[in-house]
Amino acid sequence: MLINQSAVKTIIPQREPFIMIDHLLRADDSGFSTSFEIKEDNVFFENGTVSSSAIIENIAQTCAAGFGYLGSQAGEGEAKLGFIGAISKLTVSGTANLNDTVETNVTILNSFENIHLVEGTATVNGEPIVYCQMKIVQA
Amino acid sequence: MNRSDIIATTKRFLSEEFEVSPDAIEPENNLKETLDLDSLDYVDLVVVIEDNLGFKPTADDFKTVATFEDFYQLVERKLQ
Repeated sequence: MLINQSAVKTIIPQREPFIMIDHLLRADDSGFSTSFEIKEDNVFFENGTVSSSAIIENIAQTCAAGFGYLGSQAGEGEAKLGFIGAISKLTVSGTANLNDTVETNVTILNSFENIHLVEGTATVNGEPIVYCQMKIVQA
Repeated sequence: MNRSDIIATTKRFLSEEFEVSPDAIEPENNLKETLDLDSLDYVDLVVVIEDNLGFKPTADDFKTVATFEDFYQLVERKLQ
């Protein structure tokens, strides 16, 4: 684990109650991995599960954490703001329920200037629940 | 890859990716306007250029490109 739950706010700009990752597990030039446990007090939690929107946000925050970590390693200071420019090829094939741990892997497909094309897969118990590609724009 | 190959390849992958008629991809036409590119589209453009022509253009490269003729010249320089 690279960054634990107590330190994750140092590498992402999001704040409670909108933090959708717990731990940064991996970050390098090819991509990032995070984990996130679904708890009852999650703002997206309803009827025993969280919406796919929460998982899409989890994928975006995985990007934020990865880029934030790499930036901090490069001495860039505070985590930069990032925006979802586009989402494509979205596939929702499962749900994340109470006490599930969502593991999310993001691969950087390409970058141009401050725009990154990434693909993210969120899994629960090794099974994919959400896949999408995103364009992440770093401010 | 000679000029004819570059033009044929470019027409094919750009018309497919950006859903424009191959006939619209003429040397004198403006690339950005013809493909209706916004800033986010450039990363897609980079991906298809890399996949189809084997090089990754930079932001500086695009500063030299207004028309498709400019683009073909860029490709020739990159593939030399």
